[in-house]
Amino acid sequence: MAWLLGYRRGGIFIDIKDNLIRIFSKDIRNVLRQVSVDFEQVQEIRLRVHSPLLMIHNNHEFYITADGRLGKTAGNSFRVSPKDIKETLEYISEYSLYAFEEEIKQGFITIQGGHRIGIAGKVVADQNGIRSMKFISFVNVRLSHQIRGCADKVLPYLFGHGKVLHTLLVSAPRCGKTTLLRDIIRQLSDGSNWHPGVTVGVVDERSEIGACYQGVPQNDLGIRTDILDCCPKALGMMMLIRTMSPQVVAVDEIGSQEELEAMEYAMNCGCRLIATVHGTSMEDIRQKPVLKKMVQERWFERYVVLNSQGGPGNVDQVYDARGTRLGLPGRKDYDN
Amino acid sequence: MTISLLLKVAGCGMVVAGTSGYGSWMAANYRQRLNLLLQLRQMVFLLKGQILYANAPLAEAFEAVGKRMEGMLPEFFLQVAGRLYGQQGKTFCEIWKEEVGQIDPESVLANTDRQSLAALGEHLGYLDRDMQERNLLLYLEQLDLVIRGLRERQEERCRLYTSLGVMGGLFLTVLIL
Repeated sequence: MAWLLGYRRGGIFIDIKDNLIRIFSKDIRNVLRQVSVDFEQVQEIRLRVHSPLLMIHNNHEFYITADGRLGKTAGNSFRVSPKDIKETLEYISEYSLYAFEEEIKQGFITIQGGHRIGIAGKVVADQNGIRSMKFISFVNVRLSHQIRGCADKVLPYLFGHGKVLHTLLVSAPRCGKTTLLRDIIRQLSDGSNWHPGVTVGVVDERSEIGACYQGVPQNDLGIRTDILDCCPKALGMMMLIRTMSPQVVAVDEIGSQEELEAMEYAMNCGCRLIATVHGTSMEDIRQKPVLKKMVQERWFERYVVLNSQGGPGNVDQVYDARGTRLGLPGRKDYDN
Repeated sequence: MTISLLLKVAGCGMVVAGTSGYGSWMAANYRQRLNLLLQLRQMVFLLKGQILYANAPLAEAFEAVGKRMEGMLPEFFLQVAGRLYGQQGKTFCEIWKEEVGQIDPESVLANTDRQSLAALGEHLGYLDRDMQERNLLLYLEQLDLVIRGLRERQEERCRLYTSLGVMGGLFLTVLIL
């Protein structure tokens, strides 16, 4: 029920911090327990073997000292040992690395709360591709945040002729596209001043959108939302359309040819599509081999481009299907 | 004279009843241990299913199996699951061994049963799913050997315990008289 506490500022501070530090080794827990910053503003915690413990807070990088102070110099910073990484991985994987084989192959694990843990080490590969990863020495804990209302300024642009418009959110990593997508889904599902609530089907391949834990979403995605958790996006979109008849299908980070084919299928079935993609601008996605087709053929009726200038999560611009600017909806800060 | 004889007979009767009861209790314990190991085998099979089929992490797998059954061992599984969820800063092996150590010492499980159960936790969670399967299969193999041995000797042992109880009682009676 973390999302219920999510908007009591003091409440979520304790909740996020207490839940989060449990995934770290005992020594790092002791350090983080003493850190007095607001964990709502923490974006990343980085562990690199034999290197200082780092925290990205409010878009600024800090070294963390052994007594929990944040500093700008590496001098007294806490050094991460191989034992810390090993222990942390045990807790992240709930003592069960085998259960995260597929995620490890992709280089990340999503934990309870929707936080994404990026990992890097020595990759074990064979002729079929990546088999596993060993000697994991680098861990990046990316905190997921849920911010109600962050889609308020974008939402008016997402409706036309009484329908939800096919929308693509374009953003570089750490610019807040998943957070924005999450709030769009919630508002479409619950209904808003702009539109009554609609059935939304979410294919949450990495458990980042709904942050489902044992099937129950930890983030509020609205009352009319069905979530297919940990399912490959291309397969999941087909499954949802056949089984749950959603009016809107939402997916995060599209990019492969199969996913595009599934999106085309969804659009042809009469579903409205909300998706996100990595990119920095309209020109950027026009140049991507897989994505340019959908821009040229005007699959999407709205493009919302985010940037991180002046902090993560600023809406840079909204475009229509032809790529014409619709006006700047104002800037709003939200974390990824 | 008659009272004294009556008392002796009563005393002898009590001795025989007591030793026979002890013999029967030993036989019942033997059967109970067998049943407990059979339940454990079933639970490990379910655990294997949870890990291999449902791809559940250990805590979730232990909880799911523990909730399906009743008794001391399912309770032990739930206890382990609870501690794993708690992420108290201990390794799985430490938690497992501590919890095996907490199993009621009065229970019918033999020391060898406890030792092999504790050893199961040394490699659980390590490496990939194939490794989990091999670990569990190895433990199941050991468990099967113990169960087979207990079954083979069950009739003979139970008869032996009950007969020894009665015979021992009678022998004591002769000695006393």
